[in-house]
Amino acid sequence: MKFKSRKKEQFFWGYLFLAFPLLLLTVFVFFPIGFAFAVSFFDWNLLIPDKPFVGLGNYIELFKDPVFIKAIKNTIIYTAGVVPVQTLLSLFLAFIMNQKIRGRAFFRTAFYIPAITSSVVTSIIFVWIYSKPGLLNYLLNSAGIESNIDWLTNPLTVLPSIMMLNIWTTSGYFMVSFLAGLQNIPSSLYEAAKIDGANQWQQFWKITVPMVRPVTYFVVIMSLIGCFQVFDQIFIMSSGGPDNASTTMSYFVYQNSFKYFRFGFGAASAAILALLIFATTVIQKKYFPPDAY
Amino acid sequence: MKVNILYLIPLLLLFGCGEKQTVARYTSWQSSQTEEKIIRQTLRNFEKKYPNISYQFQPIPGNYTEKLQLMLGTGKAPDLFWLKGDTSPAYMSFDVLEPLDSFLEQDTDFEIDDFFPVFRDAFKYRGKNYGVAKDFNAYVLFYNKRMFAEAGLDTVPTTWQELYTFSKKLTKDTNGDGKIDQYGFVIEPSIDIVMPFAYQNGGEIITEDGEIKIGEPEFIEATEFMMSLYRDGIATNPADVGAGWMGDVFSRRQCAMAISGAWLIPYLKDNAPNLEYGVVELPRGKRKATLAFSVAMVIPKQSTHKEDAWQMLSYLSGKEGMKTWTESGIALPTRKSVAEENGFYQDSLYSVFMKSVDYAKLYKVNMQERWFDDSQAAMQGIFYKKKDIAQTLQELAVTLEKYKLD
Repeated sequence: MKFKSRKKEQFFWGYLFLAFPLLLLTVFVFFPIGFAFAVSFFDWNLLIPDKPFVGLGNYIELFKDPVFIKAIKNTIIYTAGVVPVQTLLSLFLAFIMNQKIRGRAFFRTAFYIPAITSSVVTSIIFVWIYSKPGLLNYLLNSAGIESNIDWLTNPLTVLPSIMMLNIWTTSGYFMVSFLAGLQNIPSSLYEAAKIDGANQWQQFWKITVPMVRPVTYFVVIMSLIGCFQVFDQIFIMSSGGPDNASTTMSYFVYQNSFKYFRFGFGAASAAILALLIFATTVIQKKYFPPDAY
Repeated sequence: MKVNILYLIPLLLLFGCGEKQTVARYTSWQSSQTEEKIIRQTLRNFEKKYPNISYQFQPIPGNYTEKLQLMLGTGKAPDLFWLKGDTSPAYMSFDVLEPLDSFLEQDTDFEIDDFFPVFRDAFKYRGKNYGVAKDFNAYVLFYNKRMFAEAGLDTVPTTWQELYTFSKKLTKDTNGDGKIDQYGFVIEPSIDIVMPFAYQNGGEIITEDGEIKIGEPEFIEATEFMMSLYRDGIATNPADVGAGWMGDVFSRRQCAMAISGAWLIPYLKDNAPNLEYGVVELPRGKRKATLAFSVAMVIPKQSTHKEDAWQMLSYLSGKEGMKTWTESGIALPTRKSVAEENGFYQDSLYSVFMKSVDYAKLYKVNMQERWFDDSQAAMQGIFYKKKDIAQTLQELAVTLEKYKLD
């Protein structure tokens, strides 16, 4: 083939290689996103051929729906609770795992195993741990703290309990990201700090934290998105109950679409969720950019 | 993620397109291996009798409702399938099911009048029959004979008042550690536990004419009665003792009485073979009432093999098929003749269910699906947050207005 210029040739081959993945992404990702957004303006019941256009009707109904308002609140509480703790914990774990301590490989594996275990399995295990005669109450009582509640049917404890589970499962995953970041920090920085008399604590805050900032940025965004979309743990552990105390936005979307036959309404709530995630990411990018320190 | 999609593509191209249905397809869920064995046995008998009808049996092991919805929506629905009684109003209102009236008229062997009255028109909507009740279950009262004997009780509770006093007598601390380890009764914060008692009290969730009655005094009283058992500490809750469900509490001997359907019988056989129990009708309020659960066999409108599907339905829910399906007791027959043939009227356990049929009300609420989750949330609020019962139910009544079927 002949090309008028080298640039055009690169253009052609570049897009040729991209064509197949792009086609797949279009069919399975971009089109469904657009389609779901379009569906949110209809009263869309899969089983009824007549799907009337309702404009913003679904959105207006959403904000009048007390369960949806509760779902937004729960989702925000969930995210605000999990993300900071998770990020700090995984950085802390990575910092320790980066030291030359005995049994390092074992601990790294131990912390990473929850991340690669199916969320269904971990959720079921935690249903038992949180039950009234379960391990958590046993440990608390052994430690002298009187505790006799069922953590998953108590409206006050159900959401924090599921948050704890999520922190436990994903901290190990993000620990690995932080480990990679830590290993990129030149040891000369620490040596220089030591000569200047900085202790471990100071080294951590003044060298480690600023140097892994790009990784932190990645971790925060990924865990924000993950938290906003939390579904499987809720589905298995509490079904959104009791009294919608743990209904999250994703669970609301699922309920309305697949249980109540209301795909339009479900799509509208999914669109709000997408908007929320998008807005949070934009704010983060603007005020906490990855490369400024 | 991308890799997964790449692998899927050839599969989709190979199997996804051009699928043509040449024979009738029959779909059910399967909750146990015993159930599957009996279904297959019934089908083998069907094949012998109707060798000219070819069909495929395609059970759906999990997420039945979701999968079925997608199959119906994409025109790939099976020609004959099971539909849960409580989801049936939505399906009937969406007009996706084939009315069976003409089949019922033509097929004189079917004898719909053999069905118990409560199931005969169970799946009637706007004057048309959309399904046949293939079997049923009903809430009755299970009681632990040994605990009754220990408490010196030689009768069973027959009224609300007795249910309360019996529960009180049966609640005790058996090992003397200061903690109660045997409760009289067990309840779950679930609307279907309150419903039979509300019916007994003359209450209802929604009337035939579509009037919502859940906020009325009759319903509130029944809820208050059920809650008083829990709040007074003479009934427990599965979560409180680390059990999965009410029958589980009963099988662990942590309560003396429990409301359940016949599904508890095989469960007790497997999990508490030595437990001596009896089954009696639910204690009565102003009148006798209980809740009956049923599953419909339905044919979708989009089916291209309706004649064959009806032939199958007619056999499976006919006298012969229903007998094979129900004689072991995993499900109860909706035909009077089959119940008689199975000897259920003479059986000490099953006769109680047969008696309950006379006054049972079908668990089928004519509202959009969401009524259930909202009612459940209200019950959980009452149960776990100690919300005011009357106020919560009155608010619920207002919410439910939105879910009326039009």
